[in-house]
Amino acid sequence: MNSVEGLVNQIQGLSTTASDVLSLQNLLKQADDSLHAESTRLLPFLDQLDPSKHSLGYLYFLEACTAGPVTKEQAGSYVLMIARFITSCIAEQIRLAPDKFITVCKRFKDQVLLLEEPLRGVAPMLTAIRKLQSSSEHLTALHPEFLLLCLLSRCYKAGLSILEEDVFEVDQPRDLFLFCYYGGMISIGKKWFRKALELLHNVVTAPMSTINAIAVEAFKKYILVSLIHHGQRNLKNLCQPYIELANSYSNGKIADIETYVEANKDKFESDNNLGLVKQAVSSMYKRNIQRLTQTYLTLSLQDIANRVQLNSPKEAEMHVLQMIKDGEIYATINQKDGMVRFLEDPEQYKTCEMIEHIDSSIQRLMTLSKKLNGLDELMSCDPLYLLKAGRERQRFDFDDFDNVPQRFNI
Amino acid sequence: MDFSVLNEALASKSFNKIADICDNLMLQVAAEGVPFRDEWPFAIHLLGHIYIDDINSARFLWKSIPPAIKESQPEVVAAWKIGQKLWTRDYAGVYEAIRGFDWTQQTQVLVAAFSELYTKRMFELLQSAYSTISIQDAAQFLGMSEEDASNYVLGQGWTVDPTSRMITVTKQAIVKEQKLDPGKLQRLTEYVFHLEH
Repeated sequence: MNSVEGLVNQIQGLSTTASDVLSLQNLLKQADDSLHAESTRLLPFLDQLDPSKHSLGYLYFLEACTAGPVTKEQAGSYVLMIARFITSCIAEQIRLAPDKFITVCKRFKDQVLLLEEPLRGVAPMLTAIRKLQSSSEHLTALHPEFLLLCLLSRCYKAGLSILEEDVFEVDQPRDLFLFCYYGGMISIGKKWFRKALELLHNVVTAPMSTINAIAVEAFKKYILVSLIHHGQRNLKNLCQPYIELANSYSNGKIADIETYVEANKDKFESDNNLGLVKQAVSSMYKRNIQRLTQTYLTLSLQDIANRVQLNSPKEAEMHVLQMIKDGEIYATINQKDGMVRFLEDPEQYKTCEMIEHIDSSIQRLMTLSKKLNGLDELMSCDPLYLLKAGRERQRFDFDDFDNVPQRFNI
Repeated sequence: MDFSVLNEALASKSFNKIADICDNLMLQVAAEGVPFRDEWPFAIHLLGHIYIDDINSARFLWKSIPPAIKESQPEVVAAWKIGQKLWTRDYAGVYEAIRGFDWTQQTQVLVAAFSELYTKRMFELLQSAYSTISIQDAAQFLGMSEEDASNYVLGQGWTVDPTSRMITVTKQAIVKEQKLDPGKLQRLTEYVFHLEH
């Protein structure tokens, strides 16, 4: 107990200047095992520490405290404690022990789920991410935890701010997989199908030495979202029913695809994808109507109903109206004659907004290009890379003057 | 729970901010571990989402409301009914849902504002999607009687043919801001120059 007391004093004394905090960190690292040994007795000591000043010390104590199994009753008070710690802690101090911070936050998530109140975790987890990140391009292990909480509490909007940021640095590949998968699901919920495709595509095409379960599930959703958004399907064969669904989709016959869905309903439902499948089927009507705009200038509502296999001209009118409202088609309906006239896209690319749009896209691309060049330069100085590149070259003759050495001794 | 920001927004008629205010407040209150759901103004929260046409968020909010509250607060159910009609695209049904409930004073302000906004949106939809439309359908879309609908569209510059009961839509030419900032043109020229070298 004395050593714990002593440690508390040191934390209180060494938490003001940066150099003090570094020496404190060494002390804490050495004391970590003994802290864990005393984990059941640490709770009262936390009251002597102020999370907004003694963040690093508080973190070590908190991590040791919450290390054991937690009952539902304890979870209630821990959750509150951790939430307050996250809100008030000093970012610079906790960044000295990022793994511990991540561990504490993950336990926070577990406890919030144990209490069946994911909503409680959303705001604190977002704060935690902001304090842990070295920049907004840094993907931490907490990102997917946050998205998971958003999904479970149905606060999809809260997840959006994180999804809109560009990711450049990643700690662990698994974080990226989960982040993109959950992010894809949130985008689907908000019906941002293009964003969902982008995220799911990242999961499916990311380098992996063996197939992992996340990629398989992501691929299933990817196919469905791809149908809804593009009307096309793409590659591979781990998800047979989905591939066949995609095939029957491209045949364009509503009746066929509805029979297929009905026959395989259980499989889709067990994957939790039935909602998406239904959306894909209804997108077929849209697809078929859009195809008509490529062939006809005007068409009667009755004709549209016949070609797209709708039940009545009134239904066709409602579909066309909805597509006009959503900007998926340019047309006007003439009720008097029962006709629809298809129009050209009125965008002339001449307006101020369009220039702003082009401008910001170019700037983003230039920044990205510079970053990639920087990475490329770094890589070409990397000894491991040079070793490999040098080994693979043929022995050069005198006319073959090249900058890459054959053997690079480090 | 401190609802002062929300009340201010309602008083100043900044209805488009209500959804965000409610969302953020809910996250904060939840993080404190306070049991808030019994006192939460779900009806206003739902209507806030409906006002800015974010039916997705309204749907998810509705799903997260505990059944006990749905049973004991008919105003919340009535507010969702409007959202439901919007979700199923029952354009005429939205008006029925708006008029079919006796709203409390605070909610009434928001509902009335939404009703006006919705009629305007419907009118703009008709204008962009139809060249001719029957008076009967127009009346349904605008939530008015056929006579009121005729007078309304006449006031907006459209023409009505009483014999065929058809309305002809006059499209407004939307004048977009075309004045180009010379600085932007300069920037684009620089990009092209940069790319060619």
